[in-house]
Amino acid sequence: MEEEELQKAVYAYLRKKGFRQTELALQEEQNRLSSSAQSDLAVSRLDNDPARYHDAYSKLRSWAYSSLDLYKHELLRVLYPVYIHCFMDLVAEGHMQEARTFFHTFREDHELTHLRDLQKLEGILSPSHLEEMELARSLRQNKVKIKLCEYSYDLLLQYLQKTQSFTMLGIINEHINFEVSAGQPSSISDDADVVALVGSSQDIAKHINQKEVRWGLLEDSVEERLERALSDSEKAEGENKEVDPEDSKQKRSVEGAKQGVSVKKLKKDKLVGATGKNIRSETSTVSMAPRVKPELTLPVMTTEVEQSILEDLRNRVQLSSLALPSISFYTFINTHNSLNCSSISHDGSLVAGGFSDSSLKVWDMAKIGRPTKTCKNYCLHLLLGESESVQNEHLLGPEERKRSYTLFQGHAGPVYSATFSPFGDFLLSSSSDSTIRLWSTKLNSNLVCYKGHNYPVWDVQFSPVGHYFASCSHDRTARIWSMDRIQPLRIMAGHLSDVDCVQWHANCNYIATGSSDKTVRLWDVQSGECVRVFIGHRSMVLSLAMSLDGRYMASGDEDGTIMMWDLSSGRCVSPLMGHSSCIWTLAFSCEGTLLASGSADCTVKLWDVTASMKVPRMEENKASSTNRLRLLKALPTKSTPVYTLRFSRRNLLFAAGALSKQV
Amino acid sequence: MSIVPKETIEVIAQSIGIANLSTDVALALAPDVEYRLREIMQEAIKCMRHSKRTVLTADDVDSALSLRNVEPLYGFASGDPLRFKRAVGHKDLFYIDDKDVDLKDVINAPLPKAPLDSGVVAHWLAIEGVQPAIPENAPVEAIVAPSENKRSEHGKEDGLPVDIKLPVKHVLSRELQLYFDKITELIVSRSDSILFKEALESLATDSGLHPLVPYFSYFIADEVTRSLNDLPLLFALMRVVRSLLRNPHIHIEPYLHQLMPSMITCIVAKRLGHRIADNHWELRDFAANLVASVCRRFGHVYHNLQYRLTRTLLNAFLDPSKAMTQHYGAIQGLAALGPSVVRVLILPQLETYMQLLEPEMQLEKQKNEMKRKEAWHVYGALLCAAGKCLYERVKLFPSLLHPPTRQFWRSNGRVATKMPNKRKASSSHLLQQPALKKLASDGTAGSIPPISMTTSMQAAADGFPTPSESGIRPSSSTGQLSNESISGGSRKEKSGGKAPTPSTVLAQAWKEDLDAGHLMASLFELFGEGIFSFIQPVEMSFFL
Repeated sequence: MEEEELQKAVYAYLRKKGFRQTELALQEEQNRLSSSAQSDLAVSRLDNDPARYHDAYSKLRSWAYSSLDLYKHELLRVLYPVYIHCFMDLVAEGHMQEARTFFHTFREDHELTHLRDLQKLEGILSPSHLEEMELARSLRQNKVKIKLCEYSYDLLLQYLQKTQSFTMLGIINEHINFEVSAGQPSSISDDADVVALVGSSQDIAKHINQKEVRWGLLEDSVEERLERALSDSEKAEGENKEVDPEDSKQKRSVEGAKQGVSVKKLKKDKLVGATGKNIRSETSTVSMAPRVKPELTLPVMTTEVEQSILEDLRNRVQLSSLALPSISFYTFINTHNSLNCSSISHDGSLVAGGFSDSSLKVWDMAKIGRPTKTCKNYCLHLLLGESESVQNEHLLGPEERKRSYTLFQGHAGPVYSATFSPFGDFLLSSSSDSTIRLWSTKLNSNLVCYKGHNYPVWDVQFSPVGHYFASCSHDRTARIWSMDRIQPLRIMAGHLSDVDCVQWHANCNYIATGSSDKTVRLWDVQSGECVRVFIGHRSMVLSLAMSLDGRYMASGDEDGTIMMWDLSSGRCVSPLMGHSSCIWTLAFSCEGTLLASGSADCTVKLWDVTASMKVPRMEENKASSTNRLRLLKALPTKSTPVYTLRFSRRNLLFAAGALSKQV
Repeated sequence: MSIVPKETIEVIAQSIGIANLSTDVALALAPDVEYRLREIMQEAIKCMRHSKRTVLTADDVDSALSLRNVEPLYGFASGDPLRFKRAVGHKDLFYIDDKDVDLKDVINAPLPKAPLDSGVVAHWLAIEGVQPAIPENAPVEAIVAPSENKRSEHGKEDGLPVDIKLPVKHVLSRELQLYFDKITELIVSRSDSILFKEALESLATDSGLHPLVPYFSYFIADEVTRSLNDLPLLFALMRVVRSLLRNPHIHIEPYLHQLMPSMITCIVAKRLGHRIADNHWELRDFAANLVASVCRRFGHVYHNLQYRLTRTLLNAFLDPSKAMTQHYGAIQGLAALGPSVVRVLILPQLETYMQLLEPEMQLEKQKNEMKRKEAWHVYGALLCAAGKCLYERVKLFPSLLHPPTRQFWRSNGRVATKMPNKRKASSSHLLQQPALKKLASDGTAGSIPPISMTTSMQAAADGFPTPSESGIRPSSSTGQLSNESISGGSRKEKSGGKAPTPSTVLAQAWKEDLDAGHLMASLFELFGEGIFSFIQPVEMSFFL
């Protein structure tokens, strides 16, 4: 009795002084002593009775569930790591049968938050699988960090000591790092940390996230020059406000060549008149972002290109939660389920589709737009679901016999991604044959084949300035290339599973990658280092978008969740819920006020980004009610999953998807 | 222990030529097989996602296998989903049904159509955030309530008209086909048998008949137009309609449009049945009641149902060139729709019509006995309709009626201020019966009134020798007396000889309130005391 009291006093002292390590060490020592002092029966039971995991865990579980409401959610967090480690310990010891029953008995508790991990772990059936599966291996090698308040921690320790459940204590000591904080228990919403129980140690992630990210825009960008020009002209013109009409006439002639759809022009011009002044205010908001120097040598822009960009910037429509964009939708028809990806050039005039039969097809919408009569009828018939014979008639007509697209052949496997260069003269495609090919849309031929990846290349993206591009692959790396070299310039390694998508930062100094390991990482292009790890998704990350002011990033996953990240802090600004299926694509509007998302649930949704960024600062409690406000509009398509979204420089939104027959 | 049982391993081992695989080996292999399967599926799902699909295909599994450097499985790449069949005698052994294909057939078969080439079409998904209502966009209502749409599609009980026609072939079960054949045979050939009655009962109660309803309605419409001469058949068909309408499990609404014309035909057709002796009057009455019941049941759903019906009937009624039989049908049809319809549509026309009808009924003017008989039928129907209408009015405003009745029944005058309620139920019940029968029963039951209509009605029903004396004479002779009594009783200026012409009174009867007294006076002028038989049920109570 005396000894126990003494121990308690020592513990209390250690805790008071904050000597946590010592306390744990002492505890372990104590356990060893006491376990050796146990009766023979207990020892034999402890040694190799597989049922002890089951018993001890179920006791711990019922204790946690019956604990005080205030501390319950914190204590419940402990259960999941204990559960999976119990299971893996059982497997490692070779008790397959028991491991299975244990796994299935308590599976339901964790299915809600960890379903996908459980599905993977379920496959572990022998000790060798533990070594082989990367998830299991990383789980066993790394410690999980769990935040607890002081009192919950005490409660847990007391329980473990009283019940003498050394199995549990062992597992907790071995695999869990407690981060004990003084004061009240944390709110339930903080559970996100535990949800992303990734293999990579959170310490490392935290360490990485402390690095500096200079998210500002490039110095001397076109936007900046435009603003300067505008302010100059303002000074020069003085009161002469009536410049617009003349301007718009010129614009019309310029635009004619660019925009494929005739309606677009009319609308544009109208809007230009209305928002002429807004442009100025908008460009000035952009210039608020800090300026950074480019780390890469940037390609030189020709004057014509620069002129056209300036023209576009001047004609840009100001978008906000009150002024929603117009969306032009390109529907792929008769794809027979073989369209894997699509891409739209910046001005919307070219549309590319990558097919599973290794072909890449490019449609020039400006050309298709002209013989609208037959085309429109044709499309109507199809959309209205009329019989095939009608379609055939149309196809066999003299006009329709010609192919409406340019066919690019060269890949030896399904084409998984395609991207247009910023000015639409080049096209890159990546395929499961592990190559990337560069095509010229002017010459209609293949220029270069880039070999470097060892496995299917899932995604490829041109940098915002062209010339450079990034790719990512099943081989768990992302690579940076330039058009003139057939070898990659940088290889970014660090993801624990496939790298599924890649996106450039607006200033070209960083790329972001989304992976099957449920994390998003930000890499420095110059050094090839990982500068940010974003943890929070519960499933494979499928799409990424960077805001044009370079400050925010959005990522969409398999479950339909979109997360908005602040690049400088590495924190999730807000999760956007609303989609019910995979998010194939995301796009920020040019001034960064709107985010558009396209999903497999056949909708395009528009989100108010400004609202979602302000909310967490103002009130966290009202998250559920404000969530509604952030979704501005959901636009359903006619059974067409949305594959690609792109805002043109004038803020017209282009979308593309393949019409799929209803099952 | 694992999903893959050791038996599977053994079977696979046998298939590649290892005959005696030890159980231990199979047991050890099974978990690993499961692990590999899961691994392949995980990779396959990745491939599926990168092909931007949400359905896993055999192609995805093939790509996953090639990712793992395994030879892909050949022969599963067709677009159709695989159909597994259960092996006979084993409850958990499945195989893929591979049909033998004759090479000759494949070679000789015509080339299949070339698949359509892919294309891109553009449309506006939104213009400044607003979705234009063009066919390329999803219809708005489908977005608003997909669940509701679904419900109306396969839940017929919610009473919405279903007019979505799908080009789907209807498959009738063999039993239903047999049933249908049997019923139609009964209708056509043996409609007087007991079996037919049972068939009607079955049609009215059985729950599984819904698939047959379109066939029945088509059959009925077809038969009615084809065999207007066959009275028993028409009767049988109308009975079938009634049974179908009664069946609570049948959703008859979509087929009403097909049934209504047949029923109306049975009311107002010029000739029904080929013999003179055929009692087509009864069929007309029956059909009229049927139509009225349809109107009552579905009138609130189809607002123009009753309108269209009454228009058809009124046209038949007001056309002097139409045969008497048609007039009769029209009157009965309108009368079945209720007293208010009669009040609005028949009463205003009554006087003019009576002027037309009267010569037809008189022996000296109409020599054709057949025609005369028909005219008397019409007279009976009119009388009945007007009488019911009057009865309703009287029920509503009893006080107006009392003065004349008090005069009439002097002995009972003092009790007259009390409004009898008890009798109403029984009297209204009587009214439900077909008019002629009811009159007859009324006549016998209420034989107390001194001037009974019984004789004249009897005459009308029989159409025999005394119509001219017993029908018209009473109305003219006793008219004087009762007219006096009414005018004396009501003590109003607008009564008796000074009363406005009956036609205007009738025309206004439905417009003005509580004019039952005038209505009665006018009706009395037209029908004589025959009309009094309709206020009797009320007066019956005086004797209780």
